[in-house]
Amino acid sequence: MKLVALIAVFMTGALLIYGVEDMPRWGDPNSPASSHVSPKYIQEAIEKTATPNMVSAVLADYRGYDTLGETSVIYTAAIACILMLRKKRKGEGE
Amino acid sequence: MLDYIISKYNFWIYVVLMMIGLYAMIGKKNLIKKLIGMNIFQSAMILFYVSIGVKAGATVPILSGHGHGHVHEVIEVAKYLNPLPHVLMLTAIVVSIATTGVALATLILIYRRYNTLEEDEILKIRKDTGV
Amino acid sequence: MAEQFAALIIVVPLISSLLVPVIGWGQKKLCYPWVVAVLVVPLICSLGILNTVLTTGKFSYRLGGWAPPWGIEYAIDHLNAFVLVIVSFISLMVAIHSKKSVEKELSEKTVPFYTLFLLLVTGLLGIVITGDAFNLFVFLEIASLSCYALIAIGEEGAPIAAFNYIIIGTIGACFYLLGVGYLYIATGSLNMADLANILPDLYHSKVILVAFAFFTVGIAIKGGLFPLHTWLPDAYCTAPSAVSSLIAPLMTKVAAYVMIRLMFTVFQPHFSVEIVPVFAILGWLSVFAIFWGGIKALAQTDIKRMLVYVLVAEVGYIVIGVSVANRVGLTGAILHIMNDAVMMTCLFLVVGAILYKTGTREIHQFRHLNKKMPFTMAAFTITALSMCGIPPACGFFSKWYLIQGTIEAGQWVWAAALLCSSLINAVLFFRVIECAYLKPMEPAYAHNAGETHGEILRDEAPFTMLVPIVIMAAGVIFLGIFSGKIISSVIQFAVPASF
Repeated sequence: MKLVALIAVFMTGALLIYGVEDMPRWGDPNSPASSHVSPKYIQEAIEKTATPNMVSAVLADYRGYDTLGETSVIYTAAIACILMLRKKRKGEGE
Repeated sequence: MLDYIISKYNFWIYVVLMMIGLYAMIGKKNLIKKLIGMNIFQSAMILFYVSIGVKAGATVPILSGHGHGHVHEVIEVAKYLNPLPHVLMLTAIVVSIATTGVALATLILIYRRYNTLEEDEILKIRKDTGV
Repeated sequence: MAEQFAALIIVVPLISSLLVPVIGWGQKKLCYPWVVAVLVVPLICSLGILNTVLTTGKFSYRLGGWAPPWGIEYAIDHLNAFVLVIVSFISLMVAIHSKKSVEKELSEKTVPFYTLFLLLVTGLLGIVITGDAFNLFVFLEIASLSCYALIAIGEEGAPIAAFNYIIIGTIGACFYLLGVGYLYIATGSLNMADLANILPDLYHSKVILVAFAFFTVGIAIKGGLFPLHTWLPDAYCTAPSAVSSLIAPLMTKVAAYVMIRLMFTVFQPHFSVEIVPVFAILGWLSVFAIFWGGIKALAQTDIKRMLVYVLVAEVGYIVIGVSVANRVGLTGAILHIMNDAVMMTCLFLVVGAILYKTGTREIHQFRHLNKKMPFTMAAFTITALSMCGIPPACGFFSKWYLIQGTIEAGQWVWAAALLCSSLINAVLFFRVIECAYLKPMEPAYAHNAGETHGEILRDEAPFTMLVPIVIMAAGVIFLGIFSGKIISSVIQFAVPASF
């Protein structure tokens, strides 16, 4: 079991390192991640959403739907814990 | 070569962390250790994403001194970090906490039933009771 | 109107799940009618969406009004409109069926159970409808988290199975997220349509290859494809019967949908076929899945465990259809997503009804079940015949397309595997039918089964269980008869045009 785990882990690691080779340098301002979608957030956030903090602007406005999903995840986890851990109280019929 | 390694050191660190987490998840027998491995794994993912957002010489993505009156000022893109990975990771952190919570709740259920969190002991108990 | 349908299909079950505790606080018994009433809405919405897609073609819905690559959009085409109808219809049927078994198995946990039930359906619908790679991850987690909890409250051994599922499922979800991250670092976009535009120039980048590998492994874990299925049998088998009849047909099918979406929409088919040899690997793994699932199923005496192993084999079918990468095979795969979801739901609902009535899942105790529960067993028989691929039941048609697809691709071994698995299914299901219909009473077993030697009284499943079972069994026949029409009006548009 340990051996299988080690093999799987090293295969994953090798794959990840293989992918690193074609990645942009760390902190490169012209990398695709920094130049395709995100400039518009930086330039227009204040105008469109009136929020100086761009992270909040994206979180609550541009990608607000993800945040709705995120709160639903928390709600799901809370209900899940209630479902699993709540014991029937004494004298509570049904 | 050294230059290549240094220029991408964020990736090496995250790969190592991810391998540690993955090994703990698959290889360890103690269920709590598996859960800790899961958290290391998810933290590695978060570090990876946040490091995508870094731009050399840029500052945090919060405009200072820009009120409603100054919207026509030119905003230099290169001066601010990429906000999108941070947003994604806020969501991923919440997901990781929620998963940890649910996993801990199942661990409580398991402990109540078998009085142990060692995988092989639980398997032994289940074998002995014939289930 | 269709745009509103697209928004409502997620929002209505999500908001309603918030209201379940409020309603259950006052009166626990109202939870069930509320959930059933709420689940009618996604069905109507999905039919409306399908109708719009069929008449006007694909459309998108911008959440919050932000333009796509910056905001999140729902991208609806024939493929996801079709899968939405399947998901919403089956979740409604399972919800109707769940009344009695939840009262029996989980009486003190009704309120959180139904809350999570709705959240699970929300998550599944969200995975199918969204056009944003990261948003898909969020909904995947909503569905998975509710799945973990619902499995953990099952019978003896369920918490262990659930914990293993949490660990392995999280690896799957994180691998998916890693794939999204690698795509983002190479393209800077998260929108699926935008990615599909940018990616062709980057097909030889190593980052993209790694992203594709992680997508494939992550989705294969979630879908339970051999050899990553190890969590599946225990988790689905120990779950309460209302839960396993929802997640067993739907989770695997939604994962298969995501696989098709990623491999043929986000990536162009020629990337998935020519640049990476992934389909050869997946196809052979599916062959192993079919044989391994069939052989393990033959060894089981517990009918639910047997069905779970059959499910492992059925995942193999769909993946073979994807792996042959031609038009016929993919048509078969998409058709089989529907047929297998309907057949598996019917079988799991029947098992739930039998468990409720007789308290046993052991096949050798099914003696005289045909007299006790004639309608349930008739439904079981119809579906069993469909699983063996006997026309005009729907199982025949999807298998026909799948086999044609493998022959067209020149993969004779895969075709042989599909044919063999029909034989294995025939043996499997005939064994159950024989026990229920044909075996005379043996004195040695008579007292075990708790039967008297007198006449066997009819003891049919309750009405709320019988109705969905009969509807699903009728569906097996109707979908078979109309499969030509379904293919010509929906599925042929769902297959990517580049084939």
